[in-house]
Amino acid sequence: MGKRTIIPFGPQHPVLPEPVHLDLVMEDEKVVDVIPSIGYIHRGLEKLVEKKEYTEMVYVIERICGICSFGHGWGASAVIEGALGIEAPARAQYLRTIWHELSRVHSHLLWLGLLADGFGFDSLFMHCWRIREHVLDLFEKTTGGRVIFSVCKVGGVRKDIDAMTLKEIVDTLNSLKPEIEEVAEVFRKDASCRNRMVGVGTLSYDDAVALGAVGPVARGSGVVQDMRLTGAGVYDELGFEPIIETAGDCQARTEVRIREVFQSIELIEKAVAMIPDGPIEVPAKGNVENEFIMRMEQPRGEAFYYAKGAGSKFLERMRVRTPTNQNIPALVHMLKGCDLADVPILVLTIDPCISCTER
Amino acid sequence: MATFKISKLLFKSLFKKPATLMYPVVPREWTPVTRGHIEIDVNSCIACGICQKKCPANAITVDREARTWEIQRMQCIQCNSCVENCPKKCLTMKPEYTTPNTEKVTDKFQLPAAAPKAAPAAGGAAPAGGEGLKNDLDACVFCGLCAKNCPCGAITVDRASKSWTVDTGACAQCGLCVEKCPKKCLTL
Repeated sequence: MGKRTIIPFGPQHPVLPEPVHLDLVMEDEKVVDVIPSIGYIHRGLEKLVEKKEYTEMVYVIERICGICSFGHGWGASAVIEGALGIEAPARAQYLRTIWHELSRVHSHLLWLGLLADGFGFDSLFMHCWRIREHVLDLFEKTTGGRVIFSVCKVGGVRKDIDAMTLKEIVDTLNSLKPEIEEVAEVFRKDASCRNRMVGVGTLSYDDAVALGAVGPVARGSGVVQDMRLTGAGVYDELGFEPIIETAGDCQARTEVRIREVFQSIELIEKAVAMIPDGPIEVPAKGNVENEFIMRMEQPRGEAFYYAKGAGSKFLERMRVRTPTNQNIPALVHMLKGCDLADVPILVLTIDPCISCTER
Repeated sequence: MATFKISKLLFKSLFKKPATLMYPVVPREWTPVTRGHIEIDVNSCIACGICQKKCPANAITVDREARTWEIQRMQCIQCNSCVENCPKKCLTMKPEYTTPNTEKVTDKFQLPAAAPKAAPAAGGAAPAGGEGLKNDLDACVFCGLCAKNCPCGAITVDRASKSWTVDTGACAQCGLCVEKCPKKCLTL
């Protein structure tokens, strides 16, 4: 047994877009233990429910994250709608589903780019982000924002998308498919990618279940768990089936995300074909008296929302539990026994969003 | 295992025009709905303060005494909440982003002086003349919705003594009470 050394990883590190700190306990080149610590970017957003009315609070909650902002806006709106006892109209649900799946496409493309950047494949990183830019343009055209959309409100959505723009969304995504396929082939087949990912950081099915992993991390280990199956949105009408890989290594988690990009494009196509006419919002009036919980499938996994009314326009408590929070135990487990050089890739494969985790 | 799988993509990229723009030489094209920055029409603004109340980022400050409307450009999150809630529709969202800056910019607008207000008047059986908010007390049911929705706290309703008073000095004439009144007995 070699001498044990502690190497600090983060909060500032080239692969980390956001600050998280890991104390890596090393024996020679092997990681034997990991002590994670967070707390570098806490903003106390949940506390603001006491000072901001619930209609304004949606703006705050969707700013928890710059990547899955639509999902957070939807989660916050839906949980307050539940507490108020109202339901968004069918067209609003379809529009929310379309925007949410567009978010997933852009989030996964962003992550694929970051992963390529993580192992030093910068041209691949730039091509992933070049493709993602077209999705951001669609967002800007339909919502007015590129990453923070502010279209979800309690009771529905603020903006409608006309038939021509819906068709344009589908056409743009279809034209992106061959381009995404090109970069996906590099991730799947290129030696420089496979050498860094195949067999690295294997998380078994049992460990994924025991450690409460969520999202693509769990699905990469064969766990059939996707909150899109539980009812929010119109996924049941679209015939949604979760994507599962069984290998449990970095390549499997990457494969889940690549396949989810294509699946999201298909879901958007179906939603555009099936979207009904009608109102896009119902009025949200009155005070919030009850409490409500809600689970959403964010691009990174299951997010949990809780709202409790205070009998006024303000909420007594709003709680958001984000997917990265759930995946940190799985990350610690994966890191034990890996080489120091694999640590950045393993940290990236859980798609860490620390701003979400700390809020 | 294959190597250089990206070479085809890279080779194609050599003959394509760049995906990026030469910022800032080539101007960015905005969509009509892009949320860039807030503009105010000072002539329509009544300094009611609803925008300040509805701003999730506390970027707007309305000073009714000094008749100023102030926005901290770096604090503003372009959520459009003030534009949606403005009763006079004097706020608009423009598509151009504010220019990059190394300092925190605050824009202060001086609003035109308010029209002179009449002395505080109690509502009578017949609507009182002059400027400002009037109530037809014959139709009024003293429900108190006007007082509840008044952003300035200018209206007082006492159901027990059936009295309705407006502090014309405090009233911003935003029209919210007129909109909310179930009996449509208020007029501006």
